[in-house]
Amino acid sequence: MADNRTLGEKLQSLPRQAIYAILFAVTTIPLFFTFRVPIVPDASTVDMYAQIHALAPGSVVFVESDWTNSTRGESSGQFQALIRLLMQREIKFVLYSMADPQAPRVAMDEIARINAERVAAGQRPYERWNDWVNAGFFPNAEATAAAMATNYRAIFGAKSDTPPGGQPTSVLRSPVLQNIENISDADMLFVVTASKTSTVVIERIFGRGVPLAFFVTGVMGPETLVYYQSGQLVAVVAGLRGVYEMETLMASGVNTDIPGSYVTDRHGVIPAFSVAGYEYIGKGTAYYPTLHFALTLLILMVVIGNIGMFMVKRAKA
Amino acid sequence: MNFTLLKLTVAVIASIGLYSVLYRENKFYRLVEHTFLGLAMGWTLVALWTEVLKDTWWDRMVGHVPQTPGEPMTMGNWALILLLPIGLMGYFVFSKRHNWMSRIPIGIILGLWSGQQIYVWYNRYGPQIAGSIKPLLPTQAFPLTVPSTEGMTPEAAAAVAQNVYFSQALTNILFVFTLVSVLSYFLFSFDLKNRFLLNTTLMGRWLLMIGFGAIFGSTVMMRFTLLIDRMYFIWIEWLMQGVFQRF
Repeated sequence: MADNRTLGEKLQSLPRQAIYAILFAVTTIPLFFTFRVPIVPDASTVDMYAQIHALAPGSVVFVESDWTNSTRGESSGQFQALIRLLMQREIKFVLYSMADPQAPRVAMDEIARINAERVAAGQRPYERWNDWVNAGFFPNAEATAAAMATNYRAIFGAKSDTPPGGQPTSVLRSPVLQNIENISDADMLFVVTASKTSTVVIERIFGRGVPLAFFVTGVMGPETLVYYQSGQLVAVVAGLRGVYEMETLMASGVNTDIPGSYVTDRHGVIPAFSVAGYEYIGKGTAYYPTLHFALTLLILMVVIGNIGMFMVKRAKA
Repeated sequence: MNFTLLKLTVAVIASIGLYSVLYRENKFYRLVEHTFLGLAMGWTLVALWTEVLKDTWWDRMVGHVPQTPGEPMTMGNWALILLLPIGLMGYFVFSKRHNWMSRIPIGIILGLWSGQQIYVWYNRYGPQIAGSIKPLLPTQAFPLTVPSTEGMTPEAAAAVAQNVYFSQALTNILFVFTLVSVLSYFLFSFDLKNRFLLNTTLMGRWLLMIGFGAIFGSTVMMRFTLLIDRMYFIWIEWLMQGVFQRF
């Protein structure tokens, strides 16, 4: 049967399956190559890097991990960057979640993966219970955050983790939390989230003496940066771009002699992340260039569709 | 035995199954979808007991007898048993005759929620309102932009931080104009006839659209990132690092 459609109509109705096939190719082929695209990190990301480096070894921070595999593309890279830096800086952390029951398992898998890399690189493993402790999942983010602000020991005391070779014991008895009486005794509260728990934490914990720093998905970026501008957050890393910015800073530091180092007079010299024995290529570095190809395809498709619409309108006029 | 590759392979098959809906609706997609839903529900139910009820309610209620030397004994708190009937009352919402009972736990939750709201509202918006009050006039004619503080003494750097330079004043004017015009867009209580107000609200609408466009752009980037991550999982983590390294 002859196709009587005009070129304009054809341009507006390209076969969906073909576009998907091109999209799969475009999002696959660049992944086999490692290359960097130039980027100037946002001030909010530089602040995150600086804040983590400002923490003294032995500090205690809370890490609220509120993401699962549904946002692995963005949140995983953010979480990995955070945990790698905390481990490198010898900062103790307590892991918990209040968004999804799956979140603690996903976070612990990531920690296990990073620990395996450390061991392979000849570093000591970050020991559960002594260096970090898992407080698990808390239901009802609002009530949990409110309780954390007033008396965190009341709710964390019910949670147990297992010391090496021991029985499940209250996380408050771990070396991580034994000296933390109030949340203000912690040096920072990091939230890696793909949900509204970010605003829940600001609403209930901001002003309680612990600085807040967020890693959020790209969708949440614009609204979360508002809290950074108003000073409610000390740092924000948003979306895949934020992950790539963090990894760029980890690769060359701030104000260092390393080529590509970010130069600013807001901070002093902040060293790059370096672990002897392996070159760290994170998910931001792996995904961000590929994203450019995908966005180029999207723009191309929008342009083709608009040209088709213009041609059809012109023919009808 | 390490079943890592087997687990990865199952995950890859599930990913392909979910993406198969892009071609058309099919039974393979439905199978994977329902398997995922079942697994998620099962996981949530188990987590509800292990992560929530056992730790925060059951163990506190029955207390703890030491299993190893040095481990502390904790007394039970049987008053916590009262939480069970209060919680169960919520299920009376399904009974026409006794559904009034469900209002008791709902009322407790509403009361707790309402009591937090004034503090919550101020904590969220108070600092933003305070941060919206910005200087609109520069305190220095020159230089036009904020000078670098590199190499300055701390006192000189502090003086630079206290000044308002032309570029900062311009940014602040843009900020305040955006804030006021967007707020004016939401003046629905009376009919706007003044041309100045009409133009301001129109500008507010345009600025809102720009904001929504930025959020939409971020959303598109995020969706693409999720696809890229799946492709990375299939081609790099499973094929390159899993299959090829094993065989």
